[in-house]
Amino acid sequence: MAEKEREVKGCLTQESIKVIGECVGVSSLNEEAGTLLADDVTFRLKMMVQEAAKFMKHAKRVKLSTADFDHTLRVQNIESLYGFSTEEHIPFRFASGGGRELHFVEEKELDLSDIINSSMPKIPLDVSLKAHWLSIEGTQPAIPENPPPVDTHTQKVESQDALRTKKPTAKAEKKSGKGDMGKTAATLLAKAKGLTSDPVKLKGVLVHELSVEQQLYYKEITEACVGSSETKRAEALHSLASDPGLYQVVPRFSMFIAEGVKVNVVQNNLAILIYLMRMVKALMDNVTLYLEKYLHELIPAVMTCVVSRQLSLRPDADNHWALRDFAARLMASMCRKFSTTTNNMQARISKTFDESLSKDKAPLATIYGALVGLAELGPEVMKTLVIPKVRMLGERLRIMTESLIINNPDKIAADHLKQLVQKHCAPYLKGVRSTPDVLHEYEEEFGYLGPFLFSHVTKLRFQPSTVTTQCSSTLTSSRPMITIPQGRPSTIITSGRSLSSSGFSPKTPSSLYSPTGTGLQRTFSSSGSGSTPSSQTKIVLVSATGSGRSSAQTSPVPSGSSTPTPSVFKLNPKSFSKSLSSSLAPSLASSLASSLSSSQTIVMSPTGTVKAERKSPPATASAGGTSSTNMLMSLAQAATMQTPIRSSSGEDHTQGS
Amino acid sequence: MAEPMEEFEQELPGEKPANTSTDNGESTDQQSMDSQTLSAVLQFLRKNNLKGTEELLRKEANIQENPENASNTDQDVSSVLSAYTSEGDPLLYEGQYRNLMSFIGSSLDATKCELAQILYPVFVHMYLELVYNDHDNQAVAFFSGFSDEQESYHEEDLIKLSAVTKKCHMRHSELMMNFRTSKYVIRMSRDSYSALKRYLQDKQNNTVLNILEEHLYIDVFDGVPRNKQQIDSKAGSIVGEAKREANKGKIYYGLLKEPDINIQIDEDDEGGEGEDKPKKKKPKKDPLASKKNKPDPNAPPQTRIPLPELKDADKLERLNAQRELSKRVHLGTDNLPSICFYTFLNAAQSRLISVDVSNDSGLLAAGFSDSNIKVWTLTPQKLRKVKQAGALKEIDAEADDVLERIMDDSTATDQRILLGHSGPVYSTSFSPDRKFLLSSSEDSTIKLWSMHTYSSLVAYRGHNFPVWDVQFGPFGHYFASASKDRTARLWATEYHQPLRIFAGHLSDVETVRFHPNSNYIATGSSDKTIRLWDMNNGKCVRVMTGHKGPIRNIIFSPNGHYMASTGEDKRVLLWELRHGNLIRELNDHTEPIYSLSFCQDGNVLASGGLDNCVKLWDVKKIFTETEPDELSSTPAVVTSSASNVLLGSYPTKTTAVYNLHFTRRNLLLASGPFTA
Repeated sequence: MAEKEREVKGCLTQESIKVIGECVGVSSLNEEAGTLLADDVTFRLKMMVQEAAKFMKHAKRVKLSTADFDHTLRVQNIESLYGFSTEEHIPFRFASGGGRELHFVEEKELDLSDIINSSMPKIPLDVSLKAHWLSIEGTQPAIPENPPPVDTHTQKVESQDALRTKKPTAKAEKKSGKGDMGKTAATLLAKAKGLTSDPVKLKGVLVHELSVEQQLYYKEITEACVGSSETKRAEALHSLASDPGLYQVVPRFSMFIAEGVKVNVVQNNLAILIYLMRMVKALMDNVTLYLEKYLHELIPAVMTCVVSRQLSLRPDADNHWALRDFAARLMASMCRKFSTTTNNMQARISKTFDESLSKDKAPLATIYGALVGLAELGPEVMKTLVIPKVRMLGERLRIMTESLIINNPDKIAADHLKQLVQKHCAPYLKGVRSTPDVLHEYEEEFGYLGPFLFSHVTKLRFQPSTVTTQCSSTLTSSRPMITIPQGRPSTIITSGRSLSSSGFSPKTPSSLYSPTGTGLQRTFSSSGSGSTPSSQTKIVLVSATGSGRSSAQTSPVPSGSSTPTPSVFKLNPKSFSKSLSSSLAPSLASSLASSLSSSQTIVMSPTGTVKAERKSPPATASAGGTSSTNMLMSLAQAATMQTPIRSSSGEDHTQGS
Repeated sequence: MAEPMEEFEQELPGEKPANTSTDNGESTDQQSMDSQTLSAVLQFLRKNNLKGTEELLRKEANIQENPENASNTDQDVSSVLSAYTSEGDPLLYEGQYRNLMSFIGSSLDATKCELAQILYPVFVHMYLELVYNDHDNQAVAFFSGFSDEQESYHEEDLIKLSAVTKKCHMRHSELMMNFRTSKYVIRMSRDSYSALKRYLQDKQNNTVLNILEEHLYIDVFDGVPRNKQQIDSKAGSIVGEAKREANKGKIYYGLLKEPDINIQIDEDDEGGEGEDKPKKKKPKKDPLASKKNKPDPNAPPQTRIPLPELKDADKLERLNAQRELSKRVHLGTDNLPSICFYTFLNAAQSRLISVDVSNDSGLLAAGFSDSNIKVWTLTPQKLRKVKQAGALKEIDAEADDVLERIMDDSTATDQRILLGHSGPVYSTSFSPDRKFLLSSSEDSTIKLWSMHTYSSLVAYRGHNFPVWDVQFGPFGHYFASASKDRTARLWATEYHQPLRIFAGHLSDVETVRFHPNSNYIATGSSDKTIRLWDMNNGKCVRVMTGHKGPIRNIIFSPNGHYMASTGEDKRVLLWELRHGNLIRELNDHTEPIYSLSFCQDGNVLASGGLDNCVKLWDVKKIFTETEPDELSSTPAVVTSSASNVLLGSYPTKTTAVYNLHFTRRNLLLASGPFTA
């Protein structure tokens, strides 16, 4: 605004004139003359700049250049200033001293021979013309030449909007109205409005239909990503990482990944887990996407791959360490990208890792994961959370190695842990500790690992390049029990919640009509197949719909012993859970929950309604709902098949109400 | 407003009737100007090195340069400025202005908005008076006190004004001189005017009264006072609104009769040129042609402006064009055009400035700030030079395909560079037959290039300042240019001197466009007005105010009835030519707009600019809505909502839209440089 410009009093002072005068050899300039000159020069400069702005505007630029000024001078019959032509602005340097402040243009002395002897600069590329379709009969094709349909900034604003304000549904309606929101959506919306009579305005359920092309794309990509052909996978991942038009499909991919991880961690299918993590990486790499809205699904998935007790069927032979490393790096990059003071993501993630790390009974693989996860988060986290634990860790390793009944997997795990400590702690210590490394200081501080660290730090000091140890295959930890590491779901769910809080329901594929559902089902039935039908069907349904407050509580708090086998499956089939919640009162739900806890079939929804469903989906559920229920069942079956059910002493935690 | 009202023009007591407008074309009204003002203008021109204008003015006003006059010129300028001499107590100004403000604030709601119009000019002139009388400090205080009270669209001018703080500055400021040399025009209803007069007489507010008498021209009309919206839609120009009578004259906005070309075309010829076009289509074309040949009641007489005889080749060209046109897609709300975007890559180094696409959409010319012009072919047909003279001799001149034979296939290429200018090339324009290209540059020349030899044929020198825009007429032969020297000029390609000089704009003429019937040209200027000039007599026939920033582009609708203009104020304004009224304002762009284009049937308008976005507007809807209002000469209420006429918005990545062009089949070609 001009007001701002006017505030900045652009005028030369009498001092400036004096300095300039001195430069050209006029030393005795009296004050009055100086003031007069300053006024006049200011005026003339302003006139010039106004004229030069015309040249700038005609050159269709927004930045005034020296060439514009030259043209202005020419127009006014004044000789141009030679030697000041540059594309970029010439920065002023500032100097002060002796009570005088001075802005000046730095003129470096150039050695001509340097210029002559230096290699010729590259010839700039010639101007060329390239054609593409900006629009085809009114619709903009999603090709790399065109901007993504919804740019990352809008996506960001959108996700923050949902956080900050309770936007009336009208906006959401308008948004999707641009796409293809059918009548069904409108009716659903009306229903949603009727349901939520409370003052907290919920965003209406949006039905988002994918075009046939998008459905095909989804199918092809998911199949390629988890399929057997490596070339196809590479292509698919490249598409995920670079395609600008993915905005619409991302929720489905996010869902696919989240569910895929859940199933495959149970099945210890290391390969699929790796593929899924690569998908996450690809999505993260796509500059046109802003994934914040999907973090509540992605973070749990990634976190699982970092700290899960067991990730492969043959923990002793497979290199699941690499997956943990990879996932930890992913997690760290997510933190860097999305952590803000509001969502406090990094703190929460590091807390989760820390909890896993400090648990006495945690298997070494989990500790490894937690450690690498923390280490990737940066030196500050290293300092506060990792370094103090090294001693304890060393103690544990000592006990393990010194005990007589050490088994092979444990030994390998211990080796890996040691390598990890060396890889991350040694460079860090090298950086922070003062040079004379004293062995007994190390021993004092780090206990068992002290000498080990000492030797590596000293080694590092001599060789500049860090040696990265490549951990090659091994066996792993212990129990054949499948546990999704404790503490994980709580963080994740809360984070997911608060990000998309206050009744905003993320567009998740489960609420979609058939295509996605079938896609998911297909893929999963192949990967998570072979499950023998079990009589004990367990469905734990944590729906994503609902307000932030309630959902924050929803997460089962697996505080140690109370949850024996938290085979928790989160899912957010909105239409599904909505119909559930509409059909049942909260009170009934809680009683149901407790009664069901014996048979371990729990359905939770954050809105406070809990219901268990054996088989048939509710009548109102859409096709998507049905398929997702089916899928859920198969997932649950898969889980129960392998999970030894230990009847717990305590009740299952359902904080539904 | 209902009925056309009788025009009243009342002049304030004390105003000299001799002081005619500069609006109606200085060139014609000079004689009536009092000689003092005239010599001051001359002096001003000389000061600003506008020699061409000065000479012309001299010629037209029959003033011989005499040495005495020259020596006295300094005095003359000061006498022009001396109108600002005032014995008023500088301390009174602030109070009087405040009084005026409070009077307007407390006046009737109906008249309030109209009266508020005088605040800005009074403010400006009070400030200038203070400056002129060396009350520097009071002037600055006055300025800072009231500049924030002014309408937001005056901001740009106020910044310029704020630079003037000393008496000696005044004569260097272009804006200041504009305020001085031309009266600020305000239109208000009789009610408002009498209220104002009463107030001024009651309060003895002499300073304001003086300013009103000296520097303002109040155009009084009978009728209902206008509301804020109506006033705002017309305001913004440097010197107020257009006077009522400025837009009174009749203009011929209809199209010329299409020349009858069918009969002269041989069947053979057609077969050769029209490729594999089936013959049976011919009868279909005839009714179309005959429909077009119905005389338009608003069309100018066919020979009003002499046009060159059509040659056989031209007729063929026309025929092909019509054939193409008949195959066009009919655009509308549910039938949007496809947009093909030509992106200039690596253009950041040499800075692309202007783009033009030939009428047949086959050639694209781009002007760069490094003085180059580059020509690309957009079709598979390569750019070929004509053979050397020796080789040409051997060609049989009677051969049917002589035009083909003279081309040298060995020179075929996709791109050609035209070198010759010595400054940024601000505009290029293809001739309708695409044989020539015009370019205008900072070096104040216009060059004509041959598209057969890719060399410069003529350099038209006449402007003394950078030439911002140049355009070929719709039938070739004529072209018009717009320059920083505040004139637009009409040229014919065969004369090195301009045929007409259109003077009257108060600041740079930014853009120039031909009316489709080649009888009028429209110019847009930095003084925020659009003027329509009659090519026949050089008179200004329409003045349109309403833009709030310099005008960047103007375009006529294909039927010649409407005009769209755009500028730095980020809005597109639609005008009808019959009365020069503003019909609609389209504001959805967020940055200055550079380019406009009507589709071939005039239903859709495309706009694009610095905000990296092409927008399509349903102008058919607007035109049909305004049709009934056309009968009355009073402007309808201008709505500015964009939503219901915006058909689509197509963002590019980071490519500003420099040019938009509808092909004859209604494919939209857009172009601009990609900035990383």
